[in-house]
Amino acid sequence: MYFRAVDVQQKVPTVSRKSERLVNLTIALLATKKWIPKSRIFSAVDGYEGEPDAMERMFERDKDELRKMGIVIEVGTFDPLFEDEVGYRIRPDSYRCDIQSLTAIELALISQATQVWKGAVLDTTALSALVKLKSLGIDSDVDSLPGLAPRISIPRDDFATVIDAISNFTTISFTYIASDLGRQSRVIEPYGAGTKGGHWYVAGRDIEKDELRLFRLDRLDSKIELQGKPNSYVIPSDFSMADVLKSPEKKLSATLKIRRDKAHKLRAIGNVIEDGDEWTTLEYPYLRESELLEDVLWHLDDAIIIEPQSARESIQKSLSEIVKSHG
Amino acid sequence: MAKKSTPAEKAARMLDLVPYISSHQGISRKDLAADFGITEAELLSDLNALWMCGDNRFDLIELEFESGYVSIRNAETLNLVRSLSTQEIISILLGLDLIKKDLPEERDDLIQAISSLQTKLGKGLEHTIEAEPAVYSQVAIQVQEAFAQSRKLRIDYYTASEDRVSTRVITPLEILHKEGNDFLIAFCEASQSQRTFRIDRIREIELLQERSEKIAPKILPSATINTRISILRDFRKCYESLGVDTPNSDSEVSIETFSPQWILRTVISAGGAMTIAEPVEVRSEIASRTKAALELYG
Repeated sequence: MYFRAVDVQQKVPTVSRKSERLVNLTIALLATKKWIPKSRIFSAVDGYEGEPDAMERMFERDKDELRKMGIVIEVGTFDPLFEDEVGYRIRPDSYRCDIQSLTAIELALISQATQVWKGAVLDTTALSALVKLKSLGIDSDVDSLPGLAPRISIPRDDFATVIDAISNFTTISFTYIASDLGRQSRVIEPYGAGTKGGHWYVAGRDIEKDELRLFRLDRLDSKIELQGKPNSYVIPSDFSMADVLKSPEKKLSATLKIRRDKAHKLRAIGNVIEDGDEWTTLEYPYLRESELLEDVLWHLDDAIIIEPQSARESIQKSLSEIVKSHG
Repeated sequence: MAKKSTPAEKAARMLDLVPYISSHQGISRKDLAADFGITEAELLSDLNALWMCGDNRFDLIELEFESGYVSIRNAETLNLVRSLSTQEIISILLGLDLIKKDLPEERDDLIQAISSLQTKLGKGLEHTIEAEPAVYSQVAIQVQEAFAQSRKLRIDYYTASEDRVSTRVITPLEILHKEGNDFLIAFCEASQSQRTFRIDRIREIELLQERSEKIAPKILPSATINTRISILRDFRKCYESLGVDTPNSDSEVSIETFSPQWILRTVISAGGAMTIAEPVEVRSEIASRTKAALELYG
């Protein structure tokens, strides 16, 4: 049997009141073809009560909440001659999802995409997207997918703020730890986010420097704060996070000698030129001298630099310094 | 869901419940709650609230859920699938990107399906995100299979701190996720003891026919050593390589580690930016290995 509201009026807990009011407001604004003035909303929508001022404030907050949920409320006037009388409505076309069809495979892929977030930051966001798409009434075809196991792991809870900011084109601010441990206040217009080498990054225009900059999220020393209003900038059409995160080509090359059956990491990256009894000669690509030194030093006395001469001198200097400071 | 929903979250869910129930009339309360990622109690509270809503006081949404199965009538106005929020789109795009990069090349059909889906959903946002798999999934799939079928695995494992690649037959016991890395706890046949492997350092993996016995993972007493290190320059880099979370300007660090070899190599590869005071054995080994390296340069 179907119940009517009157039967249970007293049972409804008051905590639900605000959510109900939001739903009722949505229904009223969606159902109308004409603009509805505030006065009519207050009299017809359940949940608006109290002094006129209180109802006004309640309505302003409700409108904000609905906007945050992505529901667009239009404001218009009945008569251009009486501009003070404004009305409101929600267009079903803007409310409704414009994706009307998905294939079974596409829905299965989306399901998998939400699984990736299990237990991570955007877990509930991804799930609510999936629920909406499943409401389109399509059956998903999970069986045709191979066993997939990727998972997203984001150490920061406020990653959602970054996504929010990018979604709404809102400036963010945070404190960044510089390489000398100095703390820098940064204000950026975020363009994109992504992961590489196990780290998460946000890229955007640094307002003070007026340049595209990349920040590693684990080097932030504060919460990420939203600044100012949404829609305060435009992401350049040629921006691509994939390009920003692309590793620069290792244009330099060193000649290394590594001990046989040692220095596995160097061997995996380099090209063997000569395989001797005790030592193997390698051609090793690198980006910066500091990184080359680090890679070779890790392998202790199992790897040495032959060329270039400058790196050979630098590593000898480093080794002497370590001997001295640990003698 | 551990966290209590805000009224706005609850309202959003109520709006989404309407088209979902309409397209799944008669769904059980249990399944419906699971699909929305909420408890059945939360679902009941949502349904009770939704039941009170309608176009006006005389035209309410009709819901039936007392029987344990949920159906809906008279909800025409709300029976619209809401458009996805930008945040929802981005979360899906990131997930899809991760899956796409993880697929083996021969699944070209799926890779193309994902690309077209990314364009369909993305509304131009697909260029603002970039994902990279955190786990080498082909390895992870084999590990899952080993668990599911109770079989042993053969792995080639690279130990960076010892600069060694070894082949071992293992029985997987448990997967652990810690500080952005996935670890496999396993019983190693060769050493006849429990070992921990970082999944991204497994170079080759093979599912063996041999069945594995069920072994419960043990918490092993951890033989850690205490170290005392001074940092002279390249501060952020040194702190990060030592895995110290919140660097402050103090240049003296004390850390605990399981591996003397790891700390030795980390200090040396800092190229003089760090010195270790304790333990003294590590300190003197650093001196001798570095001296040996220096002698190779003649």
